[in-house]
Amino acid sequence: MRGSEATKVVRSVLCRGLTHEQTDQIVSAMVPVTVEPGALVLREGERGQGLLVLLEGSVEIVKRGVDGHEVPIATAEAPSVLGEMGLITDRPHSATVRALTPCSFNLLTRSQFDRLLKGESLAAYKVVATLAEVIAWRLSRMDDKVVELARRRDCPPPVEELAAFKQKLFSEWNF
Amino acid sequence: MSGAEDVNYYFRKAARVMDLSTRVERMLVTPFREVKVDVSITLDNGELGTFIGYRVQHDNSRGPMKGGLRYHPSVDMDEAQGLASLMTWKTAVVNLPFGGAKGGIAVDPARLTPREQERLTRRFVQQIHDIIGPQRDIPAPDVNTNAQVMAWIMDEYSRMHGFSPAVVTGKPLDLFGSRGREEATGRGVVMALTEYLADAGRGAVRGKTFALQGFGNVGSWTAHFLHEHGGQVVAVADAGGGTHAADGLDVPALLDHARAAGTVAGFVGGEAITNEALLALDVDVLVPAALGGVITEANAADVRASIVLEAANAPTTPKADELLQTRGVTVLPDIWVNAGGVTVSYFEWVQNIQQFSWDEDRITSELGRHMRDAYATLARVVRERKVSFRTAAYIVAIGRVGRATTLRGV
Repeated sequence: MRGSEATKVVRSVLCRGLTHEQTDQIVSAMVPVTVEPGALVLREGERGQGLLVLLEGSVEIVKRGVDGHEVPIATAEAPSVLGEMGLITDRPHSATVRALTPCSFNLLTRSQFDRLLKGESLAAYKVVATLAEVIAWRLSRMDDKVVELARRRDCPPPVEELAAFKQKLFSEWNF
Repeated sequence: MSGAEDVNYYFRKAARVMDLSTRVERMLVTPFREVKVDVSITLDNGELGTFIGYRVQHDNSRGPMKGGLRYHPSVDMDEAQGLASLMTWKTAVVNLPFGGAKGGIAVDPARLTPREQERLTRRFVQQIHDIIGPQRDIPAPDVNTNAQVMAWIMDEYSRMHGFSPAVVTGKPLDLFGSRGREEATGRGVVMALTEYLADAGRGAVRGKTFALQGFGNVGSWTAHFLHEHGGQVVAVADAGGGTHAADGLDVPALLDHARAAGTVAGFVGGEAITNEALLALDVDVLVPAALGGVITEANAADVRASIVLEAANAPTTPKADELLQTRGVTVLPDIWVNAGGVTVSYFEWVQNIQQFSWDEDRITSELGRHMRDAYATLARVVRERKVSFRTAAYIVAIGRVGRATTLRGV
């Protein structure tokens, strides 16, 4: 992907509301990364390098369940932002990201980002605001998921209700 | 007169005792199929007569559906629904391999000539022939329908589907009817009472006093069998009036009188008595054998009998039922007591399918077996679960229907 196209993508997902000069400032702090299909992009539990903008391709996001098995959580397609939490906090990655197709990214490392912040770059602060928006949106989707799971646990599906009825008639009420 | 709401009330009462979920309750109450058809015929005077016919098929988990067809202006979908479900529970209580159905035509047949009645019946069969049948739904006589109407139904259905006597029961004896069908309900009523008295240690029918309300098919045959067992029928009333003799009516003479006069009123062997006074007589057993809803909140306190034998359908309203229960009156419920009729209907169907006819002894002994087995089960539920006979009957019925339904799967 040519540099100008990459800039457009970065602008669309990370630098909305930034001037062209500000966008260039962010893009020039990034390094391009390419990944083969099947390769790991981020590994759950590892310290994050920084934020990735997925320019091309698609990835799957999986998380290790309590039984050690990987559970698919979502897939993401370009353009998209990954590892955003790693840019703001020092915590390790909360999930693993694996490339499903050949992928190209722009990586904004933490150290580069810290440098921009230290230099009181307005562009960097605007990026933080955009990331807050991304995180809020993902949190609200999580809330929906929690509600759905809670509801699923509260009322058993109708098949189980019928099985309970059958069980009752064959034990307690069998005359 | 339908008692449709009462059926649902008693069903729900049992469902609560069994702690069924509302969704399971709804599944059990919801009819399998409801059909409403136009029954138009040309009347004898050349005019067009349009009537509405109904058939509600409630449940077929235990077998083909079974239930009466009535010709009455009050027939509608609500009434048919309640009565169809009553048939499901009734056939289950006496353990017949049948489900429940009910239907009829909203018409006053007294205003139709016999030729019009025949055309009406045949037209109705043309409209519902694809949903009835020996293995689907088997109609039977009910209010204002008789063996002749059943013969027409059999003939019309057979024209379309080939020779099918098993499509209806209650047919004339000369056309694949069963021996013992006419007296079946009355015979079953007395069998039910006999079973209960013996098990409860309350003696026998002999020497007990009875008051009967209703002297149609069920009432008159009940009186006949009570008399045969040595019971003392001291009062009988019907729509025309009543007759009372403190030391017992001469039942054979009363049967002759009623056959000739069309009512028990005016019988020389007794004094006149009103329906209300009859309900309050000091007798051992009160037998409502005609209409539904005759023992009500208003008169239940006046009942002095210690046993109410429900030969009619839904003669006791739910409130009256509770009042009687708190006063220690034993109510032997309709869905078991009057199930003799549908049981012998079942025998008629079996004979039609076997193309073999049973003698009366076999009918009587098989009927006795069904009534006794049903009682043994009900009595066990009453003892073990401390419920009334009525609730026990619904519990047994719900159990049988529910087990069949869940075993087959939904």
